Amino acid sequence: MTAAPQDSERPQNTRAIMTFLREHSPFSNMDDTHLAHFAEHASLRFYADGDVVLSPEDGPVKRFYIVKQGRIRGERERDRDGETETTFEISQGECFPLAALIGERSTRTLHRAAGDTFCLSIEHDTFVMLFSQSDPFRDFCLRGVSSLLDQVNQRIQTGAMASMGSSNSLDTPLERYAIRNPIVCSPDLPVRKAVARMHENSVGSIVITDDERHPTGIFTLRDLRTMVAEEKGPLDTPIGQVMTKNPCCLTAQADAFEAAMLMAEHHFAHICVVDEEHRLIGMVSERDLFSLQRVDLVHLARTIGTASHLRTLVSLRKDVSRLVDAMLAHGADSGQVVKIITTLNDVTVRRVLELNIKKNDPGIPFTWLTFGSEGRQEQTLLTDQDNGILFETPEGMNEDQVREKLLPFAETVNKELAECGFTLCKGNIMASNPKLCLSGREWDDWFVRFIDASTPQNLVYSSIFLDMRAVFGPMEPLDALLDKVLTRIRKNALFQKMLAGNAITRKPPLTMFRNFRYAPDGKKNTLDLKRQGLAPFVEAVRVFALANGVGAANTLERMQQLSQKGVFDAKDANAWQEAYSLIQAIRMRAHQEMLDRGEPLSNYISPDDLNPLDRRILRESFRQAQRLQQKLEVTYQF
Amino acid sequence: MLEHIKDWIERLRAGSTGGPDREHLPTPKTAGDQRLSDCRLIVLDLETTGLNAAKDNVIAIGAVAIKNNAISMGDQFDLILRRPELDISETVLIHGIGPEALTRGHETEDALLHLLEWMNGDPILAFHSAFDRRFLEKALKHILGYTQPHTWIDVAEMLPAFFPDAKTGGHGLDNWADYFDLEVSARHHAAADAMATAELTLAVLNKARKNGVTTLRDLNGKLKYYRQLKNMHRHG
Repeated sequence: MTAAPQDSERPQNTRAIMTFLREHSPFSNMDDTHLAHFAEHASLRFYADGDVVLSPEDGPVKRFYIVKQGRIRGERERDRDGETETTFEISQGECFPLAALIGERSTRTLHRAAGDTFCLSIEHDTFVMLFSQSDPFRDFCLRGVSSLLDQVNQRIQTGAMASMGSSNSLDTPLERYAIRNPIVCSPDLPVRKAVARMHENSVGSIVITDDERHPTGIFTLRDLRTMVAEEKGPLDTPIGQVMTKNPCCLTAQADAFEAAMLMAEHHFAHICVVDEEHRLIGMVSERDLFSLQRVDLVHLARTIGTASHLRTLVSLRKDVSRLVDAMLAHGADSGQVVKIITTLNDVTVRRVLELNIKKNDPGIPFTWLTFGSEGRQEQTLLTDQDNGILFETPEGMNEDQVREKLLPFAETVNKELAECGFTLCKGNIMASNPKLCLSGREWDDWFVRFIDASTPQNLVYSSIFLDMRAVFGPMEPLDALLDKVLTRIRKNALFQKMLAGNAITRKPPLTMFRNFRYAPDGKKNTLDLKRQGLAPFVEAVRVFALANGVGAANTLERMQQLSQKGVFDAKDANAWQEAYSLIQAIRMRAHQEMLDRGEPLSNYISPDDLNPLDRRILRESFRQAQRLQQKLEVTYQF
Repeated sequence: MLEHIKDWIERLRAGSTGGPDREHLPTPKTAGDQRLSDCRLIVLDLETTGLNAAKDNVIAIGAVAIKNNAISMGDQFDLILRRPELDISETVLIHGIGPEALTRGHETEDALLHLLEWMNGDPILAFHSAFDRRFLEKALKHILGYTQPHTWIDVAEMLPAFFPDAKTGGHGLDNWADYFDLEVSARHHAAADAMATAELTLAVLNKARKNGVTTLRDLNGKLKYYRQLKNMHRHG
């Protein structure tokens, strides 16, 4: 872009439009360059009283409008009597139609001019440009949409919103983003005074700390709003009574990515930054992070997490794909991308469960487990369901009685997850399977049998059930179970050796002369990146992790912890992490390309389609897998 | 279009002699079957040193274009001409262009060449167009030797023709702007006045559509009929 012209150099009419815009939200908060872009690309239209401005018959909305003068009335036909009723009025300085424009669909409401009306409008491409470049504009547009979400249950497109910063910035340590010396107070300070302190410092949150500066709670303007609206107490209430306890904390060494994930997962907008002794040193907000990042991950996660209908969840899945698309396009690290997919998948699974509990609560406390790639947090867009239930048997009931209540519930959830794009598991590894809807005691028995009996089927299962995670419900029952399982495996050298033997049967696809060995089952001259490329890493690393008491399920995290424990040489661990990530990245890019071409997703690629650099990377990555398997062979003396 | 003007100004600043090709200036289009809804209409306003076309001169040109019943902000013209030799003491209070601004303006010749090229021979609309027409044609003839007549349409005539019952309390731009509740951003600024005139034109085009006036020819016919009607009233 050329240097921004000074205001005085802009044409009078452009300046006049900018002046008009500045008087209204969100334009009042937008940069001059963005306002000028709006003004220079705007068109002015006239509608006489009663003229139709937008109609559901017009097809997908292509323009963003702002009323310059006059009024617009929204009209809908009432279902019961077919009479037309006015659903809203839009007056000077207000914008429309946000939901339809962002959803790239037609409006559901007839927009009609009430009195002679002038509207400024911008075309879709200008809208998309501003949406991706201007934070205040995007926030405004999305807020408008979210509040309408329940009413119209419409989908949100993130294609436009996912203009992201470079992946490097996600690696930036939090200390770069964090506000030093955040505003703090003690728990006995009256809310009124705390809010005054926030006001003086123009911040949206205050951290409540104890005498050692450990954060014990957080209070935000949103909390204040709830407190006033719900009349939770007078303003001289000590803040300790109304704060949100145990705020989310990360150390300064954590990176922006972790903070973003934490926010996305819990829908928090603020995270405390602490030192090793858990003393508060800073504060980072969603705004701090995302004004730099332009990732709409948090928003997407929040939209998924608050969706009120299954339909909305289903349609939001497309946005996950778009977000991935944008991240890959901007060169984001594949490890980050799979984690984001997993996080968004988790939020979706949780929301499906919540919605079903709301509709039809089985009345039994349970933990929803995921296995396999979802358990390892390594999901890509091609994913099927591997899940189960761990329940506590209420007093006075036996386990079969509990299952009677939980299984129909699980069946609905499995079905609805399938609608959201999580393919039903062909092997029936799903919570609706009575064999996988078990109490803590039953699960423990199950693992005992599993570890003691070395049947071929059990080895297949090992790649699924030994990578286990809780996504919903209390964590403690799973922690307790995992503890027992890990201890049992550590003590069972035979089981380890059997796992290791299984892991090395899956050789990386390289011939003796370091050419590619093609997949036996796929199309001619193709490689199966998942089974031939990633699986050797996943399986070998799992054996080392289980044998050394590493509780994490994620392959990269397992490698990290194994390196910290000294099981892996740091340099080796690094090379293996990198190799694994590179194969994953090539696989994900292939998936995105298949999506673009409208093909079904598969893990097969033809190395001939890769550029020479990628081919070399792939070959080197497979060689690293061979080295990892050699380490397994040496360790277990094959 | 705005980019185009910017480029052109950049080139002027850089001292390049390029610019519109004097040999191939656009030929004005005649009012025929062009549909009002999709042909391009120029809405123009001039600021001058006085009211007498014989001795006064153009000092600022503001214009916007209407296409598809919309005023596109990317397609506008807003220039102050460089005429430091002119005496503007009489009118400076009205349009607010002082001697300093004039010296910063653009070479008249370049500006007019560029205006011709930008207008592309499209019909020109103005409020009390006879005034603007006299000044512009004089300037085009004297400075460029360009004498081809554009199609001119008077917005001050169209408005009462399509809104015969409007009680405006007068025939001026301000009266009609008030009638339609328009906010004129800077009255007597050529570009702002052109914008206000164009906004009124949008209202006229809307009404014309509803009255079955769809082409430039229809519009001319309607205005001619209106003129005859007015004359009959005057003489009758």
